[in-house]
Amino acid sequence: MTNERKLGLFGAIIMGLGAAIGFEVFVLLDYAYFHLAGPSMVSALFLCGFINILTMFSYSELSAAIPKMGGEYTYTKAAFGGLIAFMAGCLRWLASVFGAALAAIVFTRQLAYFSSILIPMSRSFMLANTPLIVAILVIILAVLDIRGIKEVTTLVVGAFLAIFVFFLANGLWRGLAPPEVLPAPSFGGLSGFFAATAYTFTMFVGMRALVAGAPQIKDPGKNVPKALLLSTVLLITVYCGVAYVAVGVVPLGDYDEPFLNLAAANIMGGVGGILFAVAGMIASVSSIATAMMVQSSLLGGMSRDGYLPNVLLKVHRRFGTRYVAVIASSLFVITFSVAGAVEFLGYAASFGSLLVFALVNLSLMKLREKEPHLKRPFKAPLYPLTPIAGIVLSFLLLVFPMILRDVNAESALISGLGLVALVLATYYLRMVGRYRLRVAMGGVSLGMGILLALLAYLSETSFELLVISRFPPSVLVFVSAVSILAGVLNITAHARKIF
Amino acid sequence: MKVRRIFVATVGIGQGAIGVLAGILACILYFNFLDVKTALNVSVELLPLYLFILSVFSFFSVISGFFLIHEED
Repeated sequence: MTNERKLGLFGAIIMGLGAAIGFEVFVLLDYAYFHLAGPSMVSALFLCGFINILTMFSYSELSAAIPKMGGEYTYTKAAFGGLIAFMAGCLRWLASVFGAALAAIVFTRQLAYFSSILIPMSRSFMLANTPLIVAILVIILAVLDIRGIKEVTTLVVGAFLAIFVFFLANGLWRGLAPPEVLPAPSFGGLSGFFAATAYTFTMFVGMRALVAGAPQIKDPGKNVPKALLLSTVLLITVYCGVAYVAVGVVPLGDYDEPFLNLAAANIMGGVGGILFAVAGMIASVSSIATAMMVQSSLLGGMSRDGYLPNVLLKVHRRFGTRYVAVIASSLFVITFSVAGAVEFLGYAASFGSLLVFALVNLSLMKLREKEPHLKRPFKAPLYPLTPIAGIVLSFLLLVFPMILRDVNAESALISGLGLVALVLATYYLRMVGRYRLRVAMGGVSLGMGILLALLAYLSETSFELLVISRFPPSVLVFVSAVSILAGVLNITAHARKIF
Repeated sequence: MKVRRIFVATVGIGQGAIGVLAGILACILYFNFLDVKTALNVSVELLPLYLFILSVFSFFSVISGFFLIHEED
């Protein structure tokens, strides 16, 4: 890999926009508009961009002060070390997995829309076979990723911007009935508005990829922060503009087609719908491919630091890529995408990113205190207000969808908490070492065996105990004996080793 | 030592297999294959409890079995 710095400010802005303009705009606006906030979704997008800018200040300071690969994982490691860094890495990985799963679903939806224009009957077939299509898509991209074909991620940012600008210009030229973009009590009120902000938040987070690309940028101390801010402002303008026009031409209702495709078809005719379908498919494929690279890199980094098994570092003999990490991540992506829960995935990806943003802001504050003399070519303005505001707003966005009692958000949050618990358990299990873990498992096994023996005895004597009484006593005794024996062997093996 | 190693591995395989079977039983209960809920007289209210117990038992059995199979000398 070369570290030649060849990108100037313009190149860096294009890089940021390329990373941020993704598939999300083609799917997240639907639920945010029709179910959460109505037309005030436009202001929700603006708030997303604003919160993003607050945290981008922190990213800018940290990337300029710690110009190393690894992004959030590196910053949290420098500030807090072990557990928090592992947590940040895992959350980032999970957000990426959820995002990739969502992208796979978006691809299928856009493909269904595209094919329905050419062959009207094909739409229902495509939608009915969504799990199969997403699984095939992810497998193909995983194989391409293992083979090291990285060019699949190359995105023509200019083409995307041109499509959006063309859409905006057409919409405004046609003349719109100006929609009411401020939160209205008639549609979800403030809770709906904030829920939409939380839900669509992931549309902006791709910008942080610019930080990862800092080694390619000339004078990164100056250009990276400027590029982050300018590309975020541009992105806010484009997304809010697109949402404003789309809200103006598609009234609230129940539609089968994707929201933006409908808006494009209303403004530019059938060609508009097709154009957006093609753009949506390209964005989805590009996002999945990028996400897979990010995921394998994150898993590799955490394995190298000893938090995850070394097997994830295995490199393919022929293609030189971390194929085990790619396969492991792909399996998760396939599992979540086959489930097909768009709203759940949207929230889950956003929640993961919000927590990572909060950790990045905390890292900035911790490093200011811990390393006051660290060379900082860029400093976050209005410190400590900006990182504190970033943290508070991130947590508020986690809470508001719950106030609205959005079942998708609740599921995402509960699943997220479960995954965080799993992350903590993984960390501690990894840190306690193999022998201690073995003794613990031996103890558990011994306990289970004794409990099972007791239950078997009780069910045989007088009690009708759960489902256990349906099994023959010999089976219960056998299972109990094996568990007790395994427990003793695990415990004594450790004793032999130590003493 | 070799006899002990074989014995430990056998117990490990046995426990691992029990863990896997417990996991399969949990799946069978969840999807109610062959109307197993009725056969085992499992009520809907207690189903989550059974699934939880079986999953935990399966998880720990597999891990414990794994340690015995891959015992380091």
